[in-house]
Amino acid sequence: MAWWMLYIDPGSGSYLVQAIIAAVLGIAFFFKNIMLTVKHFFFRIFRKKSKMP
Amino acid sequence: MPVQFTPQPSSYRDPSGFLFHHDGILYRQVNKSFQEDFELFVSGGLYEDLVSKKLLVRHETIEANLTGSHDWYKTLKPELIPFISYPYEWCFDMWKDAALTTLEAAREAMSKGMMLKDASAYNVQWHRGRMMFLDTLSFERYHPEEPWIAYRQFCEQFLAPLALMHYLQWPLSPLLVAYPEGLPLPLVKKLLPFRSRFNLHTYLHLHLHGSAAQKNTLAPKARSSFSAKKLSDLLRSLETAVQSFSFERRSGVWSGYYEEAGQREDYFGQKEAIIDRWARGLPVHFAVDIGANEGHFSKLLAGQNKYVVSADFDHYAVNRLYQHIRKENIPNIHPILLDLSHPSPALGLNLEERASFTGRAPKGLVVALALIHHLAIGRNIPFNRIARMMRDLGPWLIIEYVPREDEKVEQMLRDKKDIYDWYRPENFLQAFAEHYAVRAEERIGQSGRTLYLMEAYEK
Repeated sequence: MAWWMLYIDPGSGSYLVQAIIAAVLGIAFFFKNIMLTVKHFFFRIFRKKSKMP
Repeated sequence: MPVQFTPQPSSYRDPSGFLFHHDGILYRQVNKSFQEDFELFVSGGLYEDLVSKKLLVRHETIEANLTGSHDWYKTLKPELIPFISYPYEWCFDMWKDAALTTLEAAREAMSKGMMLKDASAYNVQWHRGRMMFLDTLSFERYHPEEPWIAYRQFCEQFLAPLALMHYLQWPLSPLLVAYPEGLPLPLVKKLLPFRSRFNLHTYLHLHLHGSAAQKNTLAPKARSSFSAKKLSDLLRSLETAVQSFSFERRSGVWSGYYEEAGQREDYFGQKEAIIDRWARGLPVHFAVDIGANEGHFSKLLAGQNKYVVSADFDHYAVNRLYQHIRKENIPNIHPILLDLSHPSPALGLNLEERASFTGRAPKGLVVALALIHHLAIGRNIPFNRIARMMRDLGPWLIIEYVPREDEKVEQMLRDKKDIYDWYRPENFLQAFAEHYAVRAEERIGQSGRTLYLMEAYEK
């Protein structure tokens, strides 16, 4: 273990990286949600068509 | 008159309160300094919400200061849990469910304006048929601008072990004996295979997080502004990662044992009948089934309303038993990983924080079926030491003696130098007679094997 780690609260080290990770996730989930909406849209259309007599 | 109470050795870190014993009963004190958060926890409905969803252990509130402390605010009497197991004794699916319980509790807390300040694996326990959160004092008021204080702890204690077991397909629970506070992320990053970087969630929470943990400097705490949306994304990502991990049902050392054993004439049926009859008549509520495999006989004992700790060293067998009892909702079997020649030691500060397996095992009936030859011949443990080990686990014993002529013993000796001249029934009985009186003895059909019911002498 590096000497400086002995002076740092174990929890505090992750604040900055947590903010970066959350930002990346924000973008990733934004696009994922768009994809899910598009998929859902087409799924509904196809389901309606298949139900038609 | 001075107040008599004994603080729980593992409960000293959190200034919000602590666990203690008073008159042999376990209580939790809530300190004044935590009053505001605790009131919000109860009046805001989070407590009822978590209990009704079986995510948190229920407690009674006692309006009495049992410790005589000036910082006293409330005393809680948590529901009794018959046996506590530690993360290093959990199989993969227990870990996974414990991680999901923690994340679910965090989500519920968030929806009620609170957040989990701890994500310790030791705060989760197998109880009432699921992995349940124990620590009532882990919930504090939520401040949306702050990141999740327990994030790193969650990654070190849950995500890292699960990811390693998933990517390496290797049972690694015992690593937590070496790293009881969780696996260091820079180490985890080195151990994970390259392909794990292609999973976004594993990359972010373990690889990137591990690099950041390594490069940390003495710079002031960076508290960049956070938000509820960011925290929600973080929890969703952790949940996705945990859900994506799996441990294949590869064949373990003992997998398929029952199928094979069942084919041996009526050996299995007769063994079941004898054990059922003997165990039914014993004045015990607890049983420890050592070398339980996939828990066939643990289930038999659980059917008699006994609480059974079902222990085996084969991770796959324990995992299969866990999956079975989850599916069939059998709450009174507690599966654990245990190597009897290296049982879980006492750990932590003054060796008091985590009790050894022997210290924790609920004392009642010990069941050791088709095990003696594995300990004596497989591990070179003399009979007298095996007898002492079993005596320390409880006052009653049902043990199966497997003779030298047994095909399983012969199989073991085939690739081994035979230095086991002492492996004879008379020596077995003599060694066990130092601790036990034999109460019953029955041969199991034509198998040549014998079951003994023994009662230990008072210590």
